[in-house]
Amino acid sequence: MAATDVAVTGLGLVTPGGVGLTPSWAAVCSGRPTAALDPVLADNPVKISSRVPDFDAEALLGARRALRLDRFIQFALVAAREALADARLDPQTWDGARVGVVLGCGDGGPATVEAQHEVLRTHGPKRVSPLLLPMQLPNMLAGQLAIEYGATGPNLVVSTACASGTSAVGLARDLLLLDRCDIVLTGGSEAMVTPLVMAGFAQMGALSGRNDDPASASRPFDADRDGFVAAEGAGILVLERPRDARARGARIRGRVVGYGASSDAHHVTSPHPQGAGIEAAVAAALHDADAAHSAVQHVNAHGTSTPLNDAAEAAMIKRVLPGDPLVTSTKGVTGHLLGAAGAVEAALTVLTVQEGLVPPTANLCTLDPGIDIKVADTATVMPIDLALSNSCGFGGHNAVLAIAPA
Amino acid sequence: MFEQFKNLLVNKLKVSPDLITPEATREDIELDSLAVVELSIMLEAEFGLQVTDDELLEAENVGAMVALLEERGAKI
Repeated sequence: MAATDVAVTGLGLVTPGGVGLTPSWAAVCSGRPTAALDPVLADNPVKISSRVPDFDAEALLGARRALRLDRFIQFALVAAREALADARLDPQTWDGARVGVVLGCGDGGPATVEAQHEVLRTHGPKRVSPLLLPMQLPNMLAGQLAIEYGATGPNLVVSTACASGTSAVGLARDLLLLDRCDIVLTGGSEAMVTPLVMAGFAQMGALSGRNDDPASASRPFDADRDGFVAAEGAGILVLERPRDARARGARIRGRVVGYGASSDAHHVTSPHPQGAGIEAAVAAALHDADAAHSAVQHVNAHGTSTPLNDAAEAAMIKRVLPGDPLVTSTKGVTGHLLGAAGAVEAALTVLTVQEGLVPPTANLCTLDPGIDIKVADTATVMPIDLALSNSCGFGGHNAVLAIAPA
Repeated sequence: MFEQFKNLLVNKLKVSPDLITPEATREDIELDSLAVVELSIMLEAEFGLQVTDDELLEAENVGAMVALLEERGAKI
């Protein structure tokens, strides 16, 4: 295992739990749902989302800067600043050529696209903003972080739908293990809660329709779950090889010891009914970590609160992980951050193993009788030597990280 | 016209007001080439003035931009 692990030396979060690691972790541990009626969705059939509370981009980034950035990049810049401070790294003095940026994102900046499309329809093409493309293209997430911090090493955005954040962390680890760079800023960011995108999700039948009781809408593994709650935010992790981290005296919060990825090759939106793809990704991550399936003590599940995902994922966990791991889905609190979900959940899983505290699955009132796994319904103190963070995306993408304490 | 132009820069492009003087260059008020295109679009949308981004780029400072706008406004 020692040859393939990387150290997590810094974390930054912007989530519906709050702006920052401390409020986000506190919200998740409290089990308090964040879903609420969203004024932007007042004319949509599904009117609920989980928004980042009190996100003042002008105060956090400066008014002129914030004006030229889509929300998904604003989130990432704020989370990256926290992660670098947490890692005690100084971008003024580092060798930027050895710093990579690998981030996940599902869709870039649809709010910018929708606003400029309205300009096109109302005023014609000569009024469309020259910032349309630099603001909305998904790759700008990595490009903007490079500009901000002088990170001139490998720089890319990966898009595997709701597995994007997890894919990014896995690929970032690969870059470190291949010695392509010495430090990677990784994770993901997403701001897809717009009327058009949410109309699309609703038409697919993917969203919870609990407009009358938003707080109860995201209920992973519960018998009465009816879909996910879309959320927004970002999670950034600073990764280094453990030897390098120790050499500079860095505090290591945890380690990413394995990564596995697969495709269902089954259907554009439905998961494989037996979870064959996510099973293969779990097996690959554990093989990568040189760990036994029975060694897994905790799973931060994809657990979206959709009927199909939770059933297939639970069946896979029951079948594949004989150690009876304690499973949680933090999406009960945060909602589903889409392309940022895996990044935020990787960060939360690092905190879980570091603190020895498994956050509860919010709204788990009655475990689905068809689900036979151990799901945390309260915050649970337990030492954890090996945890998994699972992600699955439309398109059949599966990605799994194996995470261990420092 | 200077005050109207300054208000546009401050309110629409969020340029810091204390940076905006007649002598300030485009770099001083932190406008890159994309922002100048935005400015050109806003001048038409707000004031009905047709000034291209190339013309704005050739102006050596804020005072020269304002002179260009006054000249263009006089023709309308």
